[in-house]
Amino acid sequence: MNRKILIALLLPTFAHSAGADVQWVLGQSTLAYHVSHPLHQSDGVSHAARGKGVCHEGQCDFLIAVPVKSFDSGDSNRDLHMLQVTRGAQFPLVTVRVRLPEDASVSGTLHADLEIEFAGQTKQYKQVPFERVNQGNDVKISGTIPATLADFKIDPPKLLTVPVKNEMPVHVDMLWHRP
Amino acid sequence: MNLKAGKLIPGGWVLALSLLIAGPSPAQTAGATLSGTIKDSLGTVVPNAKVVVKNTGTGEATEAQANAAGRYSVANLLSGNYEVSVSAEGFEAKVATVQLTVQTNQTLDVALASISTNVAKPALGDLGFPTAQGSAQDQARLDRRSHMLMIHQRLGLITLAPLVATLITSSGASRHGTVAERDWHAALGGAAIGMYAMTATYAIRAPKIEGTATRGPIRLHKTLAWIHGTGMVLTPILGIMAYEQLNRGEKVHGIASAHGAVAWTTSLAYGAAILSVSFKF
Repeated sequence: MNRKILIALLLPTFAHSAGADVQWVLGQSTLAYHVSHPLHQSDGVSHAARGKGVCHEGQCDFLIAVPVKSFDSGDSNRDLHMLQVTRGAQFPLVTVRVRLPEDASVSGTLHADLEIEFAGQTKQYKQVPFERVNQGNDVKISGTIPATLADFKIDPPKLLTVPVKNEMPVHVDMLWHRP
Repeated sequence: MNLKAGKLIPGGWVLALSLLIAGPSPAQTAGATLSGTIKDSLGTVVPNAKVVVKNTGTGEATEAQANAAGRYSVANLLSGNYEVSVSAEGFEAKVATVQLTVQTNQTLDVALASISTNVAKPALGDLGFPTAQGSAQDQARLDRRSHMLMIHQRLGLITLAPLVATLITSSGASRHGTVAERDWHAALGGAAIGMYAMTATYAIRAPKIEGTATRGPIRLHKTLAWIHGTGMVLTPILGIMAYEQLNRGEKVHGIASAHGAVAWTTSLAYGAAILSVSFKF
């Protein structure tokens, strides 16, 4: 009898963890790209990313999107030039899709395969390391995506006829929470 | 009976004439307006949804796009039955029907179901972004802007050459110099002004991008442009006055004596304008 009661009590808990979808929503975020030029070191920062994650049958799919024009480098002329060379008017969003196993939930380093759509191109990045820190019900994710201009077929912008470097690392700080 | 008909017929003619004079009935011309809000299943507005309103009687379709607040409005619709098709990225398309009567403002709110709720994968629609596709026209405008500013930048650097040469030859153009030296200085100055005008034209005529606030070093660059722009107009005028005074054997006097100071101020402002966008201070 006691065993039946115990099973009846535990069953809903198990069903919730194994069958039902779990959703994550991106709260605060900071995305910053870094571009190097012999005369300049520029950082463009955006806090406008939106994201959602859905965990289903042991797999979590995350989608993060950020408007290209939301990146602010402190110079409107440079930002408009960035918007132009990245074809930001025609492809206004950067989207990042990530698939992770649901059990990748402990604090520490996690390695994620990313699919990034940017400037009309799609590029996969394998095993990008991110630091994950659990903060109560929230999860903080930080890491750097080793993007390059060539990955997205972007012609390097020039200043005084000198092009910027190909490397354009994007540092990511995100705080996810369950709604 | 005939008497009745005789009385009615003139009345009928009056009615027919009045209809002819009045033109088509309001039912044919006066339009109804259909408006509403597009939301998702949770009640959050869906921006930029595509709305097609089709008259099922005539087959005529009118297309509209909801704004950022999810609101749409289609005016000048004839009375009749309509199919309203609503679609947005990340959502399942939905068709609703509505009957419109003459000169009415009818509201039809539509709730769209997110595609992601069916496939357990998040979609752009879930994030409030309607689509990943932008405008090729806006991109062409940006491309044109960048192209013109690139020419502006190159011409600006090239203009430095005749500008510096004009400054170097200025000492020979004074009253201690020869007429040939003054002519040479004037020719170089003319070339610098011409190059400057071309440079400025490319910046002024570059397409403006709506909703972009000017931030950073470009503000200083633009402020300095007011100084060297004014100077580039005043310098040749004062230079011509000084040139004529010297050629008449007079000492440079009056406002023409400000030519050198204005020219140097203009050149320094021009150089600072180039530096302001070349280096990060």
